[in-house]
Amino acid sequence: MSLLAIVLFGAGAVASGFPRRAGSAGERAFRAALAAALGIGAWSSAYAAGRMAGAGAGAAKDWVLALSGLALIVGFRRREREDPRAGEPAPPWLIGLFALSCLVAVAAFLEHTVRFPDGGWDAWMIWNLRARFLARSADLRSAFSPDLSFLAHPDYPWLLPGAVAQGYALFGESRAVPAALGAIYGLLAVAVVALGLWRSLDARWGLLGGLAVTTLPCFAVFASNQQSDVPLAVYLAAATALLASARSRREIALAGFAAGLGMWTKNEGALYAGCLLLALLWRRRDLPGAGAFALGALPGAALFAWFKLALAPPNDLVAFSTGATVLHNALDLGRWGHLLLLALRRIVYFQDFALWALALALALILFFRGRPPAAERTALLLAFAAYGPIYLLQPHGLEWIFRTSADRILIQLWPAAVLATLPSLAQTKAST
Amino acid sequence: MGQNQPADPAGRAGSQAPAARRIALAMAALAAVGMLRILFLHFVSEPLHEPLREPIDLRYQALRPLLPAGEAGYVSDQPAVELRGETPTPGTRMYLQAQFALAPVVLRYDDSRASLVIANLADPAQLPDLLRARSLELLARPAPGLAVARPR
Repeated sequence: MSLLAIVLFGAGAVASGFPRRAGSAGERAFRAALAAALGIGAWSSAYAAGRMAGAGAGAAKDWVLALSGLALIVGFRRREREDPRAGEPAPPWLIGLFALSCLVAVAAFLEHTVRFPDGGWDAWMIWNLRARFLARSADLRSAFSPDLSFLAHPDYPWLLPGAVAQGYALFGESRAVPAALGAIYGLLAVAVVALGLWRSLDARWGLLGGLAVTTLPCFAVFASNQQSDVPLAVYLAAATALLASARSRREIALAGFAAGLGMWTKNEGALYAGCLLLALLWRRRDLPGAGAFALGALPGAALFAWFKLALAPPNDLVAFSTGATVLHNALDLGRWGHLLLLALRRIVYFQDFALWALALALALILFFRGRPPAAERTALLLAFAAYGPIYLLQPHGLEWIFRTSADRILIQLWPAAVLATLPSLAQTKAST
Repeated sequence: MGQNQPADPAGRAGSQAPAARRIALAMAALAAVGMLRILFLHFVSEPLHEPLREPIDLRYQALRPLLPAGEAGYVSDQPAVELRGETPTPGTRMYLQAQFALAPVVLRYDDSRASLVIANLADPAQLPDLLRARSLELLARPAPGLAVARPR
């Protein structure tokens, strides 16, 4: 029943989000990936809503999701098929290279999963810990107890733990459950980027975008780490892809829904959703579009607000801050310089990024200088800029928190950055 | 609202196609570098330097059935980081791993006055000293380095 709920609700959400039926294989595949991501997210969100409402989170919730999805599919079935795009096929060498990169990424995923059977440090400290609380106790308060270490971050939203906890209920408390979800979200991250570029450009650019994700050295590691960063990357990338190609308010609303699920995945998702909304208003001057985006994000945003107001203890960044520490950190010029140095060093952090982060930085400087960025690229630049004051003003040691979070932030933004950057590169003239 | 027009790889869009080809080749080179880095990390460096981790639950599986639901105190011979911005210590890892294994029991760090207290030791020989120093009475010793106690 859970699988049916995921499939039907995901398909229904996607059916309602596009005014026309898919007209090409790339478009159909993109929508299928989108439906899977949104279906899993909605399934976990419904679980959380049920648990917080005290109404349980069993089969009834799955029936509601499945029937809602079915109603959306039926309600939006009479749509015209869109015209298929005439795209160039990808060259064989590129198909081969992409297939090889997928093999390498899968091998790395498996190796890392075997070597670290409980996932990365944050997986057992935060995400799978929360899933165990949810699965093992009917009392939600213990999962978010203020007596837990601040390092366990009981204030974090719980889309991934909710999915893992339900997986435990279905298949038993096996380490394979979070590992499988890590694999699914990793696959979806590659699919959303590659298929998103295929549908908007062509197969060649789709494969190049996929390559940029699969061969980022830390990508397979983060996917196997069983943390929420890759799921958040999927929802941000889905919202970005939808906004970039949106021809109707319905697609913008669907982008908002994906961004709302990102909010329910990790606190940073609220920042990204806010940046996407701001960029829509700023770059497109599209107030009705921004309204559609906000409406779409409402379910995730409401769940996020409900949790924060009803259950979550204060976030450590807030709890450990005072007016004096914020002012001191803001006026500490040495801290500004230190942050700049840390950020510059991270761009050339070969171990995790190889040369990809450097290449993106150079592309932004060389190709896009002086050009007004599209809304989705503006949103990512806004998010990137927002991390400056966040790092500066937060109460922890700057070097420690930067070292433990910068790569995660990059992996959250990377798939969306690839989606937002390649279309502009595709328009580059030889003379530039 | 869509803004993106594809480059024409066949060259019909003027000078876009040569640029697209150069970008494709550059990205392929970046991908090759990334793949080599991935292969080196996972199949050369990690096997040499990162031992296979044991599942966390193995250490705590004998302790878990002894704990009631709710809360328990937690003491150790290894201090855990409780201050912000400090690099986590081995004691932090022990505490957080115990919390992971024993959930949904909430382990109250450094609380030896709870009705039930878990002692988690890196050096099992330190148990008598720890119990004496924290005025605890031993109830059970389910595994080396692990004990259940209560306040005297």
